[in-house]
Amino acid sequence: MSLPFLVILVPVVLGMMGFALDLGRIYLIRAELNQAAGAMAVAAAQQLNGTVAATSAASAAANATIDPGGTDSNAYNFGSLTVGQGNILLSSATSDPAYFAALADAQAAFGQAGAGSGADGTSARHVVINLNADAPLLFWGLLSLGQSRKTNIAGAALAGISAPLCTGCNIAPFAIQRLDTGDTDPVDFGLVPGNIYTFGHSCTGTATQLTGSTGRINYLVIDRYDTGSAVTEDDYLFNLGANGLQTSTSTPGWACSTINGTENLWTGTLSAAPQACAAGTPRPAIQPLLCGLSTRLTNATPTACNNVTNVSTISGSFPMDSDVNYYVAQDYVDYAGNNRRIITVPVVETLSATAPMTVVGFRQFLLEPNADSSIPTFADGDGRFLAMYPNPAVQSGLTSGAVLPLKQGRFDGSCGITTGPGKVVLHQ
Amino acid sequence: MRITNNRRGNAFLEVVLFLPLMVLLLVGMTQIAKFTYTYFSLRKTVYSVASYLSAQQGVNFCNAGDPNIAAAISFGLTGTSDNSVPVLITGLDPTMISVVAQRATPTAGGATSLAPCDCSSDCDISQGQLPPDYIVVSINGYTLTPRIPKLAQMPIPLMPRVKVPYGGT
Repeated sequence: MSLPFLVILVPVVLGMMGFALDLGRIYLIRAELNQAAGAMAVAAAQQLNGTVAATSAASAAANATIDPGGTDSNAYNFGSLTVGQGNILLSSATSDPAYFAALADAQAAFGQAGAGSGADGTSARHVVINLNADAPLLFWGLLSLGQSRKTNIAGAALAGISAPLCTGCNIAPFAIQRLDTGDTDPVDFGLVPGNIYTFGHSCTGTATQLTGSTGRINYLVIDRYDTGSAVTEDDYLFNLGANGLQTSTSTPGWACSTINGTENLWTGTLSAAPQACAAGTPRPAIQPLLCGLSTRLTNATPTACNNVTNVSTISGSFPMDSDVNYYVAQDYVDYAGNNRRIITVPVVETLSATAPMTVVGFRQFLLEPNADSSIPTFADGDGRFLAMYPNPAVQSGLTSGAVLPLKQGRFDGSCGITTGPGKVVLHQ
Repeated sequence: MRITNNRRGNAFLEVVLFLPLMVLLLVGMTQIAKFTYTYFSLRKTVYSVASYLSAQQGVNFCNAGDPNIAAAISFGLTGTSDNSVPVLITGLDPTMISVVAQRATPTAGGATSLAPCDCSSDCDISQGQLPPDYIVVSINGYTLTPRIPKLAQMPIPLMPRVKVPYGGT
C-alpha cells in the first residue's frame, strides 16, 4: 500500500519543490538579467551622438558594466557569475547591442536573441540589449522534464534618446541669440548645419570673425555664480567652461536652464559686461571661462590661463577630448571623440546685458581647433572661439544641433518645442 | 489478524522514519525560498537606489554625507526619500548600503575600463569636477540565518550589488 503511495508522492513532492525553489530562482535570475540589460542599454544610448564611431563607443560603454575582469560587474545566480560568463554547468551569452533609428524597429527586436542592428552609428537613436543565462534546476532536474538540470532564461532592455527636453542641465553658460528674424526657423534658429561659427563675447562696434568661420555668434555669460561655493570666482568660471553649469547647495535647479524661462547676465564680482569690439583684453570673467573651454581641446594649460587662481590643480580634473581634429560640414560623422568637445548652449530670443533673456531652446556645437588643426591659445581679446553647428548624416533624420543626449534634464510641462537635445530613457 | 497487525506496524514505522525527512524537506524548502526571496528583495533595493541616484542632479559621490545619497538609500529602504516609514526589509539598515562612483577610461583595445573615482582630483562636484560615469551600489553586512530544527544555524551573508551608468533615467 505504501510503495505505490511513495511512487506517486515522490514526483509530486519533487514537482512542488521545483515550483517553490527552482521557479523562484528562475525569477531571480530573470530579474538580475533584466537589470543588467537595463544598465547596459542606458550606458550604450548615452554614447549615441550621430557619428560613425558612436556604436563602437556605445558597445564599449555597455560592456564595461559586465567586464569579466571586474570585481563588481553585474552578475546573475545570486551574484555569483558575471553576466556573459558561465561555469561548468551554466552558460550565459550576450548578443552585440542592436542599434535602431526608429523606436518601432527597436521594439520589434526586443527579446529577439541575435537581432542585428537596423542602423549604423550616424543614425542610431535606440539600442536593444538581448542577453541570456542558464538557471540551474535542483528539483526539476530529478524529474524527466528537467534532464539537462538547467534552463535558459532571457533578459532584454530597450533604451533610447527621448523627445526634446524642456529643462537641460549641465549645459554651457553661453547664451546666444537666435539668428532667424521673425522666428521663421524653429529647427535651426537660422544657424546653417555644417557651418563653423565664431563665438564672440557680445561687443559694441564691428564684430570680427576668426579664420575659417562663416559667421559670428555673439554670446553673453548667464548668471550662474554660486556665491556659497567653496571655490573662487575665477576657478568657478573655469569649471563652468570645462564642465558646464554646476549644482548649488543653496539654489535648486542652478545647474539647469528651462525653455520659456529667463536668464540674466553674470552678476559676480568679475565683470562679464559687453565692451567695445577689439578691446585687446577680454572682460575678467571671460578669460577663465575660455580657459575652462580649453580643457576640452588640450591638456596643456594655455599661457593666458596662468592667472586663474588654482589652474594648476583644477585643470588636471578635466581630460581633453580623445579626438581634437578639425571637422567641417558633413565630416561631423567622422568625429570619434568622447563628447568632451560637444557643448550645449541656451538659445535666447534677444541678447541683453540689462534685461532678462527668454530661453527658446538648446542647441549643440562641436568645439573646433584652428582651421589648421592647431590648438588655439584661448587668449582672444573678444573671447572668441570656433565651434561647428553639427550636421549629422543626411540620411539619418537626426536634427542638426541636437546630436548628443544630455545626462540630466526634465520635460516639465509642455514648452512647445519639437526639436532639441533629449536624454536617455529606458523604455522597457 | 496478525498479518494485518504487522502491516499496521510497518506503516507506522514507515511514517515514523519518513516524517522527519518530509519535515526536513518542507522546512528546507521554506528556508531556501526565504533566502531567494530576501535576496530578490535586496537586489531590488540596490537597483532602486542606483537608478534613483543615477537620475539625480548634483550628487556628490565624494561626500559621504551627501543628502542625495541619503535620500536614495532611504528611498530604497522604505519607499520614501525622507525615512518617514519603517524599513521594508527587516534587519537592513542604511549603513549596510555603500555607493561607489567610478570613472571610465578607454583602453587600447577599444574597450572601456572602470576604476573607482580618485576623489582628490576627480568626481568631486563641490570642486566643480566632472561627475562620475558609473555608480556601483552594494549591500555589505546583511546576514540571514536559516532556521532548521535540530541543525546548527550559521548566518549567511547576502551581498547583492548592481552597476549602472550615471545619467539618464
